[in-house]
Amino acid sequence: MAEANQQGCLFVGEGVVLKGNFEVPDIASISGIVEGELTAKQVIIEATGIVRGKLSGESIDIRGEVNEYISSTRSLIIRSTGKVSGSINYSEIEIEKGGHLHGELHNLNPHS
Amino acid sequence: MQEQSDNFSQSDAPEEIDSEPVEQNFRSEAPVRSSINSKPSILSEGFTFEGTIVSDGVLNISGTVRGTVTAKSILIDSTGQVDGELNTENLVIKGNLKGDVNCDDLNVGPLAHVTGNINYKYIHIQRGGKISGKFNKN
Repeated sequence: MAEANQQGCLFVGEGVVLKGNFEVPDIASISGIVEGELTAKQVIIEATGIVRGKLSGESIDIRGEVNEYISSTRSLIIRSTGKVSGSINYSEIEIEKGGHLHGELHNLNPHS
Repeated sequence: MQEQSDNFSQSDAPEEIDSEPVEQNFRSEAPVRSSINSKPSILSEGFTFEGTIVSDGVLNISGTVRGTVTAKSILIDSTGQVDGELNTENLVIKGNLKGDVNCDDLNVGPLAHVTGNINYKYIHIQRGGKISGKFNKN
């Protein structure tokens, strides 16, 4: 997944703490901690990854932890190790058995 | 007590011997009905019920229910529609649900529409399930 020299990608390794707002044109893969706002086309939160703040993207795949806010315009997957709390906006959702979900869930296009 | 004195009958009873934390992952893998001997109560398609339902067993809802439902296990089928409060251990939703839910195991199918406040222990939402409201893990 973490191919070298990927254009427009952000990889945050385990143990790294990032604070601030991030705009990622392509893939953001988070194994460390991000505090602030993160926007990417595709977001992967690995099992050790934590996002405290706002997370937005088309496709979001969560094996770690996300607090406060999530918005996914295409697909949101919460894996069995994933923990999500706060306000969640999605257009398509999947939660694997064992995933934690605490907060408010909103469907972006409820009539489709 | 009975388990120790009678070792022969154990093999055919699908008893949960394993009490390790792994249990969580396998809890609802077994089909709902196998653990309960009694036949399910069925609310068929086209049937509308208003009021309170209480059952110790399995309830299959293919029709419409408005009110409070309490049962050990509830299945809302694809044609089923429930408007009200649900209290159950095992809840499978393939149809529509509007209301508050208290359950242990929640399984939401890909064509389901769910709106309400949901208290759960274990959750599984299949891709495509439309679900909105407040979620609270117990």
